[in-house]
Amino acid sequence: MRITTVRILVQAVVMALFMTFVFVTTFSHLEDVPALAFWVSKFLEIDPLVSIATALATHTVYQGLIWSLLLLIPTLLLGRFFCNWICPFGTLHQFTGWLLGRRTARERIEANRYRRRYAVKYCILAAMLVAAAFGSLQVGLLDPICLLHRSLTASVLGALNAPLAAVFGDPKIHQLSWVVGGLLVLLVGLNLAVPRFFCRVLCPLGATLGVLSRWALWRIERDPARCTDCDLCLQNCEGACDPHTQLRKSECFVCFNCIEDCPHDALRFAFLPPRHHEIAWPDVPGRRAALAAFGGLLFFPFTRLSGRSTRDFSTAVIRPPGSVEELEFLERCIKCDQCIRVCPTNVLQPAMLEAGLEGLWTPVMNFRMGFCQLNCTACGQVCPTGAIQRITVARKLGVGPHAADGPVKLGTAHFDHGRCLPWSKNIPCVVCEEVCPTSPKAIHCEYRQMPVRDGKKLVASATATTVTLAEYPPPGQAFGEPCDMRRGQYRGDQTTRYYVRVVHRDGTSETHRVLDHDADTLLIGEPDPAGGEPLTGSRFSRVPARGEIAEIHLEFKVPKIDTGLCIGCGLCELECPVVGDRRAVYVTAEGETRSEQYLQRDRNRSLRLMKGA
Amino acid sequence: MSAERPCCGSAPSAPPAGRAWSRRDLLLRGGGTVALAGAAAAAGWKLYDPRGDAGLQPPEPIRLPDYFRPVGFEPGAPRISAAYGSLDRIEPMVRAALAGLNPAGMGRFVGRGDVVLLKPNVGFDRGPELGATTNPQVVRAVIRLCREAGASRIIVADNPIENPPACFAKSGIRAAAEAEGAEVVIHSTAHDAPVAVRPGRPDAARREALGTWPIFWKPLSRATRVIGIAPVKDHNLCHASMSMKNWYGLLGGRRNQFHQAIHDIVSDLGFMMRPTLVVADGTRVMMRNGPTGGRLDDIRPGGVAGRPVVVASVDQLACDSWCYQHLLGRDPAALSYLELAWEKFGADPARLTARHWQEYRLQGKVVETGVV
Repeated sequence: MRITTVRILVQAVVMALFMTFVFVTTFSHLEDVPALAFWVSKFLEIDPLVSIATALATHTVYQGLIWSLLLLIPTLLLGRFFCNWICPFGTLHQFTGWLLGRRTARERIEANRYRRRYAVKYCILAAMLVAAAFGSLQVGLLDPICLLHRSLTASVLGALNAPLAAVFGDPKIHQLSWVVGGLLVLLVGLNLAVPRFFCRVLCPLGATLGVLSRWALWRIERDPARCTDCDLCLQNCEGACDPHTQLRKSECFVCFNCIEDCPHDALRFAFLPPRHHEIAWPDVPGRRAALAAFGGLLFFPFTRLSGRSTRDFSTAVIRPPGSVEELEFLERCIKCDQCIRVCPTNVLQPAMLEAGLEGLWTPVMNFRMGFCQLNCTACGQVCPTGAIQRITVARKLGVGPHAADGPVKLGTAHFDHGRCLPWSKNIPCVVCEEVCPTSPKAIHCEYRQMPVRDGKKLVASATATTVTLAEYPPPGQAFGEPCDMRRGQYRGDQTTRYYVRVVHRDGTSETHRVLDHDADTLLIGEPDPAGGEPLTGSRFSRVPARGEIAEIHLEFKVPKIDTGLCIGCGLCELECPVVGDRRAVYVTAEGETRSEQYLQRDRNRSLRLMKGA
Repeated sequence: MSAERPCCGSAPSAPPAGRAWSRRDLLLRGGGTVALAGAAAAAGWKLYDPRGDAGLQPPEPIRLPDYFRPVGFEPGAPRISAAYGSLDRIEPMVRAALAGLNPAGMGRFVGRGDVVLLKPNVGFDRGPELGATTNPQVVRAVIRLCREAGASRIIVADNPIENPPACFAKSGIRAAAEAEGAEVVIHSTAHDAPVAVRPGRPDAARREALGTWPIFWKPLSRATRVIGIAPVKDHNLCHASMSMKNWYGLLGGRRNQFHQAIHDIVSDLGFMMRPTLVVADGTRVMMRNGPTGGRLDDIRPGGVAGRPVVVASVDQLACDSWCYQHLLGRDPAALSYLELAWEKFGADPARLTARHWQEYRLQGKVVETGVV
């Protein structure tokens, strides 16, 4: 079998594996299947750019990222073989170019010559690594594995799911999905202008491997004695590494197409061939690399001093349960959006600019989309970099061995009294109390009596258990029209009750529940024929006199929040029937557990401290 | 080669110069034009909306069938059957409860070839010990009884408040269903269809709330029998969630607005659904903090009865009345939605219901048994 056939088979198998891992990440009970949790992040974990950049930012290599050492071995032996054998994004580019390319052999040879602009990726890498060293991890923007994970999660899989909703359930919704998806289409489409545009020009992982392959022991070697300078080796060259002359080692994808295409067997894959036949280092003029690094240097103060991750932080940036404090989060999150893929309720969303430019496409919670499920820590199970820690459900709920720590609080719910139905409109509701999942409920209610519209009347006549009403008179008139109340208007029920408050002439008042009424008379009790206490209801302590004021009040539950118990799960916000762009109850990041220990940081707004003060 | 083909790729291919249109060409091209024009005209005619109000026409709603009618009513038979027992004797309790209604037990309600929809309460992502969802062992026992009675297909469905797959997994109800070979249908908006609960608009003055509303139709569409299996729970707003409130889980759409008239809606649910049977799960009764609970302190096995109990009934209103008193220890005369339900369908001769369980007691139609 030809080596290129083997390569294509390997690419197909790896691509299938990658897609399988992305697909099964939908399965949110990963903690029940440790093997799945182990495998789904493997492509991100073997990515050396991820581990190098997070190591620069955090000075640690998080758990599974140690697997990236595995990829260094073949790179140091064979060069950038990852780019054309393993990388699923590379495979996608190559496949697209093959499927849609319409170039003649002559045009392909010209398109595959090395260009100076292919050095741009090294500048991007330099800038990203410098930014990472300062604590702003941006490699995920262009790292091909992160980018492909993110694009599949936020756009492609949802789009494929949409017509199959009856089989797989409703597709997830992701904010500004079209931007992520459009970027993917653009990058893949650029293959038609420049073959492997992304891989040759932009890919920071390719740049990393390109630098490392400087030390590779094997490489493509041309035998000048046999070579006729026909340039046919260039017609299918993936990396644009100039195999027809001095090989650019850092550009070669080890795709072996040149060896296949050479009609004179002048090319072979050789162990330690002569040094003067190669250009070992990437072709980056020192000043440009320095400029790029300087760009990375500036990126950090420019974005950090924009204040979105410090003093001017947005309380809409609510991070998944188990997240580390925001500044550490920005050191770790690679924007792969696996957590968003695994989230069973669709609450996790790729951020736009709410977390600052630094936080683009990092996961934030949007409680209009979903809520954070009590017994779920799936996002932490799949996070490859520890931005979301692998916490247990017991830790999240603050039970068992974690009882002393209390539950993980994502934020705190607040009521908008101007929008809340009971608070502002006398409409009973309290769905928020119903769904509040803590025990005892963080949302609790108190009964309030509010005067109803046009409920102020005058007493026309009364007995111990009934009062007949007249309308409150307009100015200048002594007594109003007789009342004509709609049948059942003030009957109420067990949950919403009507009361009548009679204000006596001496200023004292008494309030009684309305049991029933007709057009003008309210019944507050059924009298005992024997003259004792009423059989049901109550009776006036003093029979109201004609002309005294009687007000009809509605009693219902109004909701309140116990900030000490609220965990910020957002179920109240999701279920609130006031469905504007701002719900009547909404969660903000204030009081989040992850900022609690960082008293000197801006996001530390511990409501718990305020409560104790 | 290229000299023979001038202007290649620019203009559409015209017939070669000097060659006239043949009759055949003319007929083919002309026929094609006429056919296209005809097809366009036909499509336009078919889709023509002269009044311009097609965008205002909602889809035709479905009417929910009466799932009790095929079973037929026995005048003297017990209407409420409660079986007391213990948490490790659930299946015998369910059998005893059914046997109390009828000597044939489940065979009276489910026959050979029936498709049975079981509607447990799977509303929350909580373990069975917390009592927020139907006891999976009760579900399991009911499935087994239906199977023994000859049901060809048993479907378990609910539209929970929290994430559906998680709720079915955590509550143990998926495992129970799969162990007994029943299907679980997970809700998706694609499964909903508009159902006309009552003809015309609801009349708010008569405390009606549901007119036409999207219902979780897919599991209902094939069912010939419907059995509600509701846990008895405290509820923050409507005071108790029992058999009648259980149908809330069949609603789709933005159902959270119904809390503004909760008693109207719960009684409407009783009006909407006439089940073959209801089973009330009084094994772990949530006494407070309902309907979510979350702590073992909120739970009391058997409620105020003190012993776990399973109740089977052909009358959801009276069943709820019995449970409200015997399990939650509250006065059913004060429960507004029962009163409204009685006003809405109590007088319907086809529904044979009672305002209060006491009426059945006086008629000797309440059976209580104990399982050791």
